[in-house]
Amino acid sequence: MSREMHGFYPDYNVLDHADQWDELTREIVLQRLNPPVVLSHLNAWEQKMIAKISEHLVYDDRGEIMAWIVSYFDTQLAADIGESERKPDTPPQNQLIRDGLRAFDHWARMISGQGFLENGTQIQFQILSQLQLGSLPVFDQWQASLQKSLFTKLAGMVIKAYYSHPTVWSEIGYGGPAYPRGYVRIELGLADPWEAKSEEGCNGKPGSGEASLRPL
Amino acid sequence: MENRDPVKHHCDHYDDSHYDSMRHRKYGSEEVDVVIVGLGAAGGVLIRDLAKAGFSVVGMEAGPFWNPQTDFASDELYAQRLAWQDTRLTTGSDPLQFGSNNSGRGVGGGTVHFTGVFYRFHKSDFMTYTLDGVGADWPITYEDLAPYYDKIEHELKVSGPREFPWGEFHGPYPYPEREPISANAQIFRRGCEALGIRSTTAPLAILSAPFAGRPPCINRGFCNQGCLPNAKFSTLIHHVPEALRYGAEILTDSMVTQILVDRDGRVSGVEFVHDGRTYKQKAKLVIVSAFAIETPRLLLNSACGKYPNGLANSSGLVGKYIMPHSGHDVYAKFDQEIRLYKGTPVMAVSQDFYETDPKRGFARGYSLNAHGSRPVEMASGAAAKASIWGKELREIMLAYNFFARITVVGEVLPNINNCVTLSDEKDEYGLPRALVSFSYGDNDRKLIAHGVAKCNEILEAAGGTPAFVVPDTAHLLGGCRMGKDPETSVVNEFCQSHDIPNLFICDASVFVTSGGANPTETIMAIASRTADYIISHSSELFSRDKLMLKAVHHLH
Repeated sequence: MSREMHGFYPDYNVLDHADQWDELTREIVLQRLNPPVVLSHLNAWEQKMIAKISEHLVYDDRGEIMAWIVSYFDTQLAADIGESERKPDTPPQNQLIRDGLRAFDHWARMISGQGFLENGTQIQFQILSQLQLGSLPVFDQWQASLQKSLFTKLAGMVIKAYYSHPTVWSEIGYGGPAYPRGYVRIELGLADPWEAKSEEGCNGKPGSGEASLRPL
Repeated sequence: MENRDPVKHHCDHYDDSHYDSMRHRKYGSEEVDVVIVGLGAAGGVLIRDLAKAGFSVVGMEAGPFWNPQTDFASDELYAQRLAWQDTRLTTGSDPLQFGSNNSGRGVGGGTVHFTGVFYRFHKSDFMTYTLDGVGADWPITYEDLAPYYDKIEHELKVSGPREFPWGEFHGPYPYPEREPISANAQIFRRGCEALGIRSTTAPLAILSAPFAGRPPCINRGFCNQGCLPNAKFSTLIHHVPEALRYGAEILTDSMVTQILVDRDGRVSGVEFVHDGRTYKQKAKLVIVSAFAIETPRLLLNSACGKYPNGLANSSGLVGKYIMPHSGHDVYAKFDQEIRLYKGTPVMAVSQDFYETDPKRGFARGYSLNAHGSRPVEMASGAAAKASIWGKELREIMLAYNFFARITVVGEVLPNINNCVTLSDEKDEYGLPRALVSFSYGDNDRKLIAHGVAKCNEILEAAGGTPAFVVPDTAHLLGGCRMGKDPETSVVNEFCQSHDIPNLFICDASVFVTSGGANPTETIMAIASRTADYIISHSSELFSRDKLMLKAVHHLH
């Protein structure tokens, strides 16, 4: 199944202007294009599981972006700086995610007799939808509330990583880092020359590319 | 190579005034006049004011000493390190989120990543019980804080409208209002105007013209990720450098684990951990300014033979009555691009719904802030809090540039069951983690429904189509509330604990009610007033003979 979707800015690439960014920001963002091939914490099966779950959560299957998301999980699992908050009945992040991935496989086998990755999109998607509602069969510690906590944890991490990838920034027309340059034209209908301009607007209205061609 | 580890990071700037290791402490085993735990909005003001008055002061900070130029980046994911990420346990029917949602880590605390919105509280905020029969009255009035609001606004060159129509202060602000305002702020004002709702540009602790070697804002939009040009105020760049010039010492990467108590029941300093080793800092006066969670947690974790229920806790109210603001984010889609990423996030506001209106069926009210958003915040909020993911989320985010947003900053009434207690689980220092319980009450829910509906009306009146709502919260206040009666409050009106006269608690935790406005300016005004009190009463406060343990006698 193809998940190609078209945004408003087919010709915009936020990285065309990366030379205008401060050095630290440039280094951080460009690293996301080349995540490490060998990861230190997640095994090969866990990596495949996270990539597949991510594909459904963000509705995108581009391998290079999924690889960055998986590497983000790996560094988060290695860090010991805490997870800001957690419910008292929820295990710590590392355990929740690792046990959670195995639980996905268990639920898949209960439904189809096959592991999660061996199933097609429909069953994989169904498991995620039910996880969000906490309506998967209860086994071991996997009560409804823990199912929801697992969904929230995975969705939060996957989506934070996905929307930090510069390819996605380009697609949605996000101007991205802007230091030291800043923005000058911030009012309605205006954009700086280097920002994304839409070919078509929403609901059939003219895009900002058109607007910028009209005399002021 | 530069150490960028957010936990064990020691940066060396402000040459000659910054310790380079624990072997070169300025005071070592000496007793100083004052030790302050936490260098955020309140701690920053206190250390500068007290050092300037000539006292020997040490500021303790669990996190790093940030250098904006080398430690901040234009990236949402990277900026998570500016938040207090240590795990807190969260429970109740509306469990709170922490981290970047409300808690700072490192010198500057939350002021490093706040939006810079600089509201005063209204007169009514200090007397909600008298006026509306809800919450409780503060031991102070608006008039007590007014001179401190004035002083802080002038010192920071707060920018704002010539006329501010609500509350007691109507402008002008020291620096001119921001011009131009962002498309999202224009949309907000357009919608308000169509409906007859008053709106103004936002009062901001962000420069609209140069000041003290700092440039005006460049509309980069990353206030919540740390300001790189230093156009936005933080205590990191304003108060702390001054405190160092006046001789204060700052010990960073140093987690205070206990407040020490002497044989007479007075506090005598703090114990802290730096790089795995335990040290002490002795002081005549201890001020805790560590935020609405870490402040009660430290007081409870400092329980000892003399005070088995924790310090300053004879009322049993340490950790009780915590209040976030309801902070629902309301998104609508437009035909033309709004580009939520551009400009200072909050540039237009309304407080037309701030005061109680009996016709609405609930007490108190809220502020409305036109509020920019970046992709990670918008998408992860939609997924984790509004259950939008998969294809629907991707479609929304492909149209990211066409969304506008308004955020409600709603008053939450105090409730004793909303509280910080100690859990059974230990952190890396072996201390019990905070367990934070929060549930909205009926009044809170009615207020939220009204605020969300109002946002949608405004966005529709501006030509948008309401899209989705992210049920969020912002800020956290209370937990050591101030009051006149030692049985129903933790500190007096000057933030001095009722039980132990040389222990002060001064930060967001002393709030009695939450107000319906961003709280940073009020936190700083209270800190500045506390500093004045300590300075004017120093002969009494710093003399053991004169300082009677009144409240301990009251205990027995």
